[in-house]
Amino acid sequence: MESIKEKFIDNFITDDRWRYIWNGLGVTLKIAVFAVIFGILIGALVAIVRSAHDKTGRFKVLNWFCKLYTTVIRGTPMVLQLLIMYFVVFATVGVSKVFVAIVAFSLNSGAYVSEIFRSGIMSVDSGQEEAGRSLGLSYGQTMWYIIIPQAFKNVLPALANEFITLLKETSVSGYIALADLTKGGDIIRSQTYDAFMPLVGVAVVYLIMVCLLSAGVTKLEGRLRSSER
Amino acid sequence: MKTTKTIFATLLAALMLLALTACGAKAPANAVFTLDDLPGKTIGVQLGTTGDIYASDYESEGSTIDRYSKGADAVQALKQGKVDCVIIDSEPAKVFVSKNSDLTILEEPFALEEYAICVAKENADLTANINGALATLKADGTLDSIIKNYIGDDAGKTPYVSANTDFSNGTLIMATNAEFPPYEFKEGDKITGIDVDMAQAVADSLKMELKIEDMAFDSIIAAVQSGKASIGVAGMTITEDRLKNIDFTDSYTTATQVVIVRAK
Repeated sequence: MESIKEKFIDNFITDDRWRYIWNGLGVTLKIAVFAVIFGILIGALVAIVRSAHDKTGRFKVLNWFCKLYTTVIRGTPMVLQLLIMYFVVFATVGVSKVFVAIVAFSLNSGAYVSEIFRSGIMSVDSGQEEAGRSLGLSYGQTMWYIIIPQAFKNVLPALANEFITLLKETSVSGYIALADLTKGGDIIRSQTYDAFMPLVGVAVVYLIMVCLLSAGVTKLEGRLRSSER
Repeated sequence: MKTTKTIFATLLAALMLLALTACGAKAPANAVFTLDDLPGKTIGVQLGTTGDIYASDYESEGSTIDRYSKGADAVQALKQGKVDCVIIDSEPAKVFVSKNSDLTILEEPFALEEYAICVAKENADLTANINGALATLKADGTLDSIIKNYIGDDAGKTPYVSANTDFSNGTLIMATNAEFPPYEFKEGDKITGIDVDMAQAVADSLKMELKIEDMAFDSIIAAVQSGKASIGVAGMTITEDRLKNIDFTDSYTTATQVVIVRAK
């Protein structure tokens, strides 16, 4: 027991090492929150283009680009996308690493979110659309007022899943020397040479974040379902 | 419909132009000429290396330390102007600079250090045995010829050839990070270098079979501590923090930490 306390002090208190975790948490949250927001925007746009194409046959070129985008992003590992973003796309442009990470993770998340949204739009019975159109609503209005609200409710669990994955996936940003939460633990590990405390400590922080996120989503799901009965 | 296409095409063209300008832009001019220039600069290092430990002292003087997973990544970032300089061991630095004409090493060395093999604290017998073997290898010139085979004008002339086939004392598992020429690096599928040959020579004189485990540098000490590897050999310097967790053998060679900067 005594040695655990000592190890805790050595790993987190000595030399203010908790700062690596605290600052890392800030970086991780910054990347994850922005990536979720831009991921939703990108994903929604791509999903609307693709499902509009599937239903009406419009947007041929745009649909081709969207398909290419999802294929490339889903077909390559996140770490490589991040490294390509850092060492190739933003090779000599003086932008901050956090920005590079946000761009990389947003693009990555967008591809997955688009498929989630698309499955949601497809899951709404086509009778709903027909009803909307026969009531005189335009395609866009039918989409916005009838299809998307129902689709969103259907995809919420899958969407929450994607955000949890994204939050944990940001742990690879250490590859571009970004001091995120995982890297914070690694830095402590490189100073104290103790594996247990930093690794488990960081894991607990991730776990807490994911628990809070799932709790929030469950609550949201409940509120959205209240209209069903 | 047509407008969407036009807007999209314009966006795409703009994106491509942006990518082109990114390619054409030059890295900023070098701003580090002596060690006195380091405060306030962005310093690239490999996480957990001696360079990292020493560079971290500059954090209180306003420097930013970028800790990359690999020395080569830090050097790449230096070339692109993402960091102002890289602090790394002199021999790998020479290899990096010889391959990149746009980089140079500051004449002033950053720090002096001694490399040693790390062994778990519970394994004091092994430490003593290795010290004995190292003393013999130093005395009969084997160690010198191994080092000369990689560093200096006679490189490649005196390769170490293992002649031992008696593995009666079991296996010696060596944890290393094969990203650190000329101490340990990959040649095709094989891991080779000064540390590897030296460890092979030690294993031979201890009548043990050498097995190499390649891993991230900051995992080596943990691997040795937990018994996943018997020794850690990766151009590792003895430091106070490391001694708290692990034992070191006698030093087998000395090296310097240097600062790599852009040539212009």
